[in-house]
Amino acid sequence: MGCSSSVPDRNTGRAGGINPDSGGVIDAKNLRVKLVLLGDSGVGKSCIVLRFVRGQFDPTSKVTVGASFLSQTVALQDSTTVKFEIWDTAGQERYAALAPLYYRGAAVAVVVYDITSPESFTKAQYWVKELQKHGSPDIVMALVGNKADLQEKREVPVQDGIDYAEKNGMFFIETSAKTADNINQLFEEIAKRLPRPSPT
Amino acid sequence: MPSDSSSSSSSSSSDGDDRNPNSDPNPDPNPDSIDQSLDALESQLASISMSSRSPTATIDDEEVAEEEEEQSVEQLTIGNGPLNEEIRAEEATDSVEDEHIGNNSNLRAEASGVINTRPSSLCRNISEVDEVERPLSPSSSGYAGERGSTSGDDEIDDDDEDDNEIREVENDGVLESHAQWVSGKRHPDEDDASVSWRKRKKHFFILSHSGKPIYSRYGDEHKLAGFSATLQAIISFVENGGDRVKLVRAGKHQVVFLVKGPIYLVCISCTEEPYESLKGQLELLYGQMILILTKSVNRCFEKNPKFDMTSLLGGTDVVFSSLIHSFSWNPATFLHAYSCLPLAYATRQAAGAILQDVAGSGVLFALLMCKHKVISLVGAQKASLHPDDILLLSNFIMSSESFRTSESFSPICLPRYNPMAFLYAYVHYFDIDTYLVLLTTSSDAFYHLKDSRIRIETILLKSNVLSEVQRSLVDGGMHIGDLIIDPTSRAGAVSSHLGQPRPATGSPGRIMDGFAGIGGPAGLWHFIYRSIYLDQYVSSEFSSPINSLRQQKRLYRAYQKLYTSMHDKRIGPHKTQFRRDENYVLLCWVTQDFELYAAFDPLADKALAIKICNRVCQWVKDVENEIFLLGASPFSW
Repeated sequence: MGCSSSVPDRNTGRAGGINPDSGGVIDAKNLRVKLVLLGDSGVGKSCIVLRFVRGQFDPTSKVTVGASFLSQTVALQDSTTVKFEIWDTAGQERYAALAPLYYRGAAVAVVVYDITSPESFTKAQYWVKELQKHGSPDIVMALVGNKADLQEKREVPVQDGIDYAEKNGMFFIETSAKTADNINQLFEEIAKRLPRPSPT
Repeated sequence: MPSDSSSSSSSSSSDGDDRNPNSDPNPDPNPDSIDQSLDALESQLASISMSSRSPTATIDDEEVAEEEEEQSVEQLTIGNGPLNEEIRAEEATDSVEDEHIGNNSNLRAEASGVINTRPSSLCRNISEVDEVERPLSPSSSGYAGERGSTSGDDEIDDDDEDDNEIREVENDGVLESHAQWVSGKRHPDEDDASVSWRKRKKHFFILSHSGKPIYSRYGDEHKLAGFSATLQAIISFVENGGDRVKLVRAGKHQVVFLVKGPIYLVCISCTEEPYESLKGQLELLYGQMILILTKSVNRCFEKNPKFDMTSLLGGTDVVFSSLIHSFSWNPATFLHAYSCLPLAYATRQAAGAILQDVAGSGVLFALLMCKHKVISLVGAQKASLHPDDILLLSNFIMSSESFRTSESFSPICLPRYNPMAFLYAYVHYFDIDTYLVLLTTSSDAFYHLKDSRIRIETILLKSNVLSEVQRSLVDGGMHIGDLIIDPTSRAGAVSSHLGQPRPATGSPGRIMDGFAGIGGPAGLWHFIYRSIYLDQYVSSEFSSPINSLRQQKRLYRAYQKLYTSMHDKRIGPHKTQFRRDENYVLLCWVTQDFELYAAFDPLADKALAIKICNRVCQWVKDVENEIFLLGASPFSW
């Protein structure tokens, strides 16, 4: 690529996005899928990912910059494996315009909110609409209410989450990255719901 | 040869505060020259004045006094004590200056109309700072920093790192890394009504042209809305008069303004740094903001002048506070040059070769860095990287913890390269200190860059670059103790490799004759050499007596002043400067090729100091292929 000394102006509408080289499927028994996490800042997206990928929980908040990339493989009971290539996006407003870069071509979107924050639930609904408009048509979407360990501070009723997810054809779960509650279940459930390639 | 253009007489300091606390207080047992007996005498004087205080806390009692409530009571009791007398005495004289604050001449002349309405609150605030402090300082943790030393123009003038330096007192002279510094927003609960907030010695503010706060170093931005509006009123009042306000002096405080389109930046400082330095710091602060948002943020203000930018900068407090912190320890912030990690030529070549390989394939810039130092960097054809961009980029990456967790792909703008456009940065940490940054214009290059990184990592491991980097971190670069100046027997015998084992202290190879002070030969304490052609600098490792972060910071501030005066367009440019005060002899030598800044013992001999500087330059040339990145694409802009 010939690099000149000047650069095209900020563009957010470029086609393509970040996609693995291969089409996302290695073979029928071993899937490789792109997963993106979206949601307001501070709802615990990175914590969910780090709990899932490394089994760790760090209570000190580390603001994600741009997006972090991690991968983790899940083995299912039917002896298939699913390798998740996870884009953990930053929740900050300034990165909102860049989100298409990360969710374009994603097979799975996990939209996260914080059960103690109604604002984050509103933001989650924004992301769901955005994905319905601009995401892949057959994208698997999960709605996740995180920080379920903070029951006493809950402000978003479970039923609200269930209702909204049902209306939008999403899978719903409440998790706690802190206690690891439902984290693995989340990803296993997603893996089960993935469309399987028909054997050739 | 350097010749002295200015020289102030050496005033012997009997005040322990101006001496270095952690230096070896023992005078040389063999005072066989006049210089040395003076040294001994002064050391004795120093130790007498120290003896009335706790031995470890002598100079640091200012820091302690400056400390906040959160510090330990023990430290407080050490710090207060005899010094209070001085504080009271000083305050008597200071109160006169307080009078000036209210009716500052710079502003008074033209701003009288507005002053009566809103800007007066600024003046009042500043004057109140001192008023509030006065009753406080003798009894509580107080506020002695600003007027800490009783003599000398180079006052100890820190503002930050309070927590850090307290720990340093405990460690007593142990060289501590900057890693201890607590990152993130400090004291977010404060606002302009807080006494503690007003006592801060160096404030930085970013606000919008409508007066909305964007960033404040201390305190909650939203609570500072009124104060921001005041700053905005001052700026726009002067602008309405067809003029531009650059600086307001109010007693010991300087208020420096920088207007960048719809963004206003303000520094309020009583650190006695030159205006040019503070302005340069505001420029860097602005650059850091551009790096995060690009200059296209201005469009938001075109659409809506009352646009609230704080949300756009969410989570970046830590980036700004880390940059502000670096103003006091990283000479790159005023030298506008970058520094390299010292490495064997072949090692750096190996790293450069693989980066070059990658840069051929869609990577605009490839940087391999260790902390804030460059291991190697490569740019695509015709693309050049400004040292300030390197500074801002490395600050951004190192201060954002999430980069350490996993590989990342993030939009980033290089303000000196193209302030309007985002580049995309692939960032990966190889170990806790060493990281790779690949910059591209293509938003979908992640997988390509990831592959490139894997290739680079393989080569780096194979050629032991990463382990050499760790070794260099331990060994350091140029130690002044290694400079050998005996012209008869050891002429030219300066080690031409940094990595060679050094003779132990006191071995015959070292200069231990009558001129030796602590530190290097002839009282050399430290130097910085800036190569103009390479846009790089090398700084000697700190050693006794410049042990503590506090002393390092004071030395950097002194260099900073020297740099400013050397580059002063009204009275300069100068070629040489020899300056002696109670803290140092400072010698600066500027040629077409380099700038040398050297600090000596305050009693150092001038002729010998000049000679030493020549030796230093020779030494730098001897090891230049280990301390500099040579043969990088020429930097031209």
